[in-house]
Amino acid sequence: MTSNTNISTGLKRNLQQIFICIVLAFPVSGLAQKMEGSMRYLITHNWTKKMAAVDYLSKQQRDRVTYMWGNRSEWKEYSLMYFTPTMTKYEDSEERAEKDDEGYSWRKDVYTIRRNFEKSSIFDMIQLLGKVYIIEDTLRPQNWKILNDIKEVAGHICMNAFWDDTLKMQKVYAWFALDMPVSSGPERFCGLPGLILEVDVNDGAMVITADKIEMKPLTTEMDLPKKIKGKRIHEADYTAIMKKYMDERRAAEEPPFWGIRY
Amino acid sequence: MNRLSWYLMLILLCSSGFILAQNPSKVTIKSSIHDTTNAEVPFATVMLLNPKDSTLVNYTLSDINGAFAFNNVKNIPYLLKVSHMSYLPHQQMVQVSATPVNNIGVVRVKPLSVTLMEVVVRAAKAPLRIRGDTVEYDATTFKVPPGSTVEDLLRRLPGIEVDADGNIKTQGKDVKRVYVDGKTFFGDDPKSVTKNLGAETISKVQVYDEKSEQTKLTGVDDGTKEKSMNLELKEEFKKGSFGKVTGAGGNRNNFTASDNYDRYAGRANYNRFNDKNQLSFIGYANNINQTGVNWEDYGEFKGQNTFNDYDNGDFGFGNGGMRYYSFNSDDSPLNNFDGRGFTKNLGAGSNYNYDNKKTKFNLSYFFNQTRLSLDQFTSKQTFTDSANFLNSDTLGQSNFRGNHSIASRFEKNLDSNNVIIVKANIRFSTSNSTSHEDQLYSNSESIPLNSLGMKNGTDLNSWRVTSASIFRHRFIKKGRSLAISAGYNISRSDGTDNLFSLNKFFKANTITEQIQQLKAKQNDASQFKSSLLYTEPLSKKWYWESFYNFSISNNAVNRQVQRQNTHDSSLSVFYTNDVLYNRLGTSIRYSNKGLNTSLGIAAQQLKLTGNYFPNRGETIQTDSVKRTFFNWTPNLTANYQLPHNMWLGLNYSYNIIEPQLTDLQSVPNVDNPLYRFEGNPELKPQRMHSFNLNYNYWNPASFASIGFGSDLNIYDQNIVYNQTVEVMDSLGLVTTSKPANVKGGNSFNTYIWSSYPIIKTKLTLNIYGSINTGSSPALVNNVENDTKNRGFNINIGFNITPDPKLIFNIEQGIEMNNITYSIHAEQNQKIRNYSTEAAIKWQFATKFFFESNFNYSIYRNDRFNFNRDMPIWNGSVRRILGKKNRLEMRLAAFDILNKRVYISQYGSQNYIQHTSAPTLARYFMLSATYNLRGFEDKLKKNNYW
Repeated sequence: MTSNTNISTGLKRNLQQIFICIVLAFPVSGLAQKMEGSMRYLITHNWTKKMAAVDYLSKQQRDRVTYMWGNRSEWKEYSLMYFTPTMTKYEDSEERAEKDDEGYSWRKDVYTIRRNFEKSSIFDMIQLLGKVYIIEDTLRPQNWKILNDIKEVAGHICMNAFWDDTLKMQKVYAWFALDMPVSSGPERFCGLPGLILEVDVNDGAMVITADKIEMKPLTTEMDLPKKIKGKRIHEADYTAIMKKYMDERRAAEEPPFWGIRY
Repeated sequence: MNRLSWYLMLILLCSSGFILAQNPSKVTIKSSIHDTTNAEVPFATVMLLNPKDSTLVNYTLSDINGAFAFNNVKNIPYLLKVSHMSYLPHQQMVQVSATPVNNIGVVRVKPLSVTLMEVVVRAAKAPLRIRGDTVEYDATTFKVPPGSTVEDLLRRLPGIEVDADGNIKTQGKDVKRVYVDGKTFFGDDPKSVTKNLGAETISKVQVYDEKSEQTKLTGVDDGTKEKSMNLELKEEFKKGSFGKVTGAGGNRNNFTASDNYDRYAGRANYNRFNDKNQLSFIGYANNINQTGVNWEDYGEFKGQNTFNDYDNGDFGFGNGGMRYYSFNSDDSPLNNFDGRGFTKNLGAGSNYNYDNKKTKFNLSYFFNQTRLSLDQFTSKQTFTDSANFLNSDTLGQSNFRGNHSIASRFEKNLDSNNVIIVKANIRFSTSNSTSHEDQLYSNSESIPLNSLGMKNGTDLNSWRVTSASIFRHRFIKKGRSLAISAGYNISRSDGTDNLFSLNKFFKANTITEQIQQLKAKQNDASQFKSSLLYTEPLSKKWYWESFYNFSISNNAVNRQVQRQNTHDSSLSVFYTNDVLYNRLGTSIRYSNKGLNTSLGIAAQQLKLTGNYFPNRGETIQTDSVKRTFFNWTPNLTANYQLPHNMWLGLNYSYNIIEPQLTDLQSVPNVDNPLYRFEGNPELKPQRMHSFNLNYNYWNPASFASIGFGSDLNIYDQNIVYNQTVEVMDSLGLVTTSKPANVKGGNSFNTYIWSSYPIIKTKLTLNIYGSINTGSSPALVNNVENDTKNRGFNINIGFNITPDPKLIFNIEQGIEMNNITYSIHAEQNQKIRNYSTEAAIKWQFATKFFFESNFNYSIYRNDRFNFNRDMPIWNGSVRRILGKKNRLEMRLAAFDILNKRVYISQYGSQNYIQHTSAPTLARYFMLSATYNLRGFEDKLKKNNYW
């Protein structure tokens, strides 16, 4: 555990150098048209698979949910990512992905995730347990393990990486592009050598897949929302809030995914 | 010896110190990447991983010359990994370096086979897994027709050749061995596997080099490697079965003469399923008043078909918005015991679901029957503007109901924009009952006026078919959609009533009237209906929706009465009633950022045609009743999802409810000589304004939640039953009821609930409260009587969980209802019910559980001098047995104090009544349950589906 932390700090320190290196490398390469543009992710949620991953609920209870709802438990939504070699911003899209939702509008929670790789800093404005928080801190990527699979996502060849999120009880498999050297991804995932184009959490409970990538110069897309209101905290505070909530839900034997983003 | 070890240790220490001193703590790792043709590989991703667990430590890109460097990294062993979209991922170890710059030499990468890349990765979208030299891909992404063998599958896989004889080659070499899940299968011949095994059983195909058989035998590596193949079988994780069987026996209950049996209860269910099919069986038999199955069992019985979306084909306002699931309640065999009497119950059914995501099919059959024996005592006080009367009623009834129902549903997604749903249900029912009822009517001084004794026997057989089909189409334009539905329902019933009544009128001389009636009744009904819904998006936030409903219903009722063995034409009638319904509506909807609101209006027309004949096939008796009702009905719905988990809803609608068929018929129904019901052919529909407001808030951090809501209905035109109560000479007290329209009347209900954790997960407060008021004017003996209801109820409860093994629940409830009558203020009633409940669940030892609850209810009505207390105490101990916790033994005591009885108090219009009926009181039961999945050795905190 300690060694992992050291490694991740080392990685963080080196991110700056790497990005300078990437910026230098790109202008001369054919592959490296300017790594700047926007991307749409399709998020597929599966409620029964989310239930199935809650280890403290009885197996019978989870099995029953699957037995009764298994094939009717999916819903979809879109999210957006803006990226440059030095910065990314991720947020929910107002566009409706679910054809049947057409005509019904849900309120989106506050969710803006910005990563600055030059300064190695994060700015996250998120809704957590009904409150808006602003997390400003240095960038700490997840402890990814690099695996051996390759596949194509949205026209890009991707490699596979794994992260075991013990806090949120999530097994995360990410596919990062080998030809998009931007060390970011959807939600709060980052720190891989390429842009994460697909994420599978808890064996299909949530799958985030890039479905539209557009290379274009960005103008104001990276700007933070005009209204920034919320409690300013650090990453450690976020972890503490989350841990307390997860522990309480475990004690109450209630699924933990209402009130927090999955 | 001692000295020697000292020396050794000294040498070890020195040498290790020497090594440490020689290696720098930081190092620069550099190299360049070349492919097999020695060309430089630029822009490859180079990663340094922790060799223990492949954790990413650092990464970089190779430059235009294929060179890369990791500057100033810790000097520890690394796993170096190079990946590039055109090359096989390469990995090698990097050892601790003795020099500050560790040049690891040229890293060579092998090109990724073009076929693999193009065919597997790009065309089939299959991930490639690379394990050293092994390349593996997901066989499930290569489609082969059902029934194909592995050989057929292999023919489709890129890089694999299968000749006419079935010999397999890859990269120009023969595949010598085929393993299944790493094991040899059917001997040595690879073809025995590939020709025999079904393709659908395979999830992955792996091809790799293996040391030759010769090498394996001799242990001497001759350097030759043979191509081998491994077929990984699909993990059939979704396949399984579960079930439970319970048998229970209890003591004889001597509480009443009409039910003197040993208690028994049996129940069994069994389910089998795989990823596409679900098959279930359920059965029960008991005499402990469980007339059906509980929700949990029902959900497992119906499986994926418990809830369905888009099943409602009667489109109207607000149908275009969000999807909603509807519970499949058609003929559901759920427990619906109303608390009165003693029942013997029997039921069994089977359900089959098929679902391959594109096609869903459900077929279920259920048989259930209930035999009820009931003794019931009712006291009723009826009053008019000038007098009031008492009526006491003793009823003994034995009743049988049996049903067979078959339900089917088919849903097909023709493509992503077209879906069709077809449903059909058939139900056969038979029922019969015999009853004897004694009524005594007296005036307010308790002087008897008359008495009525009745003996009735009824038989009824009926069947019903309901069917519906719905087609939905989405247009290419986002948000534009069309839905069409059609349904046909038909039902038929045939029955006889054998009524015998003896009325005694007490006056100077007692006058006795004896009536014997034999009634044959048939009811035929059919209905065709169809609806259309069209949604057009006007912009991203505005939608325009229109719908049309059409239905035509035909009813024919034949009632032929024989009185004292001769046909009585005054009570006999055959009538037909046709209803033609048309509604055309339109609305505008706005949906944006959690606000969904819709405003619309519909025009609706209802055409009723009634024809009366003395008997089926005879000439018309009276002129046809032809009536047309036309109304405009506005509608408003608004739902707003506020920030911070708050929801606000507002609804308004104008509702038209057509008169019931029986309310329109002109020929009176006189089953009971003292109660006469006359229809009213002039009756107009009920019209009312309905308002609803609701608010909900939930705090995910504190787990607290609160909600309130209000409903208000104001009647423009109501249907009420005017009563005439009179003492008729030689007969006694006779009530005549006739429906009529009145203007006015309203009802209002408001409620609030909250759940608040005082100590999270340990102590939770639950509150529920509601207030209701209502006013309903009706004529009593031609004088308008306005009955007003005002009541409230409050429930406060605590859920206490001091320990995961102990759960307490205490609850206090108060219910008050005041009924006032404008014509007879001294009859005003105050009904009071109080109840206190305490419950405990305790796991007092491993696999031992104790559960008990105590409820004390008080029923009061001072005006009526009604005062009844009822303490009910239940308790049980259960133990889980067996290695897999599959057996449960339970000893339960129900109503230990032997006090249970059914009680209800009710007041309305011009009467107030209370009813009591004996039901199952104290009994003890020992039960054993075998559960295939095993029981959990812990207390359940929550129950959900």
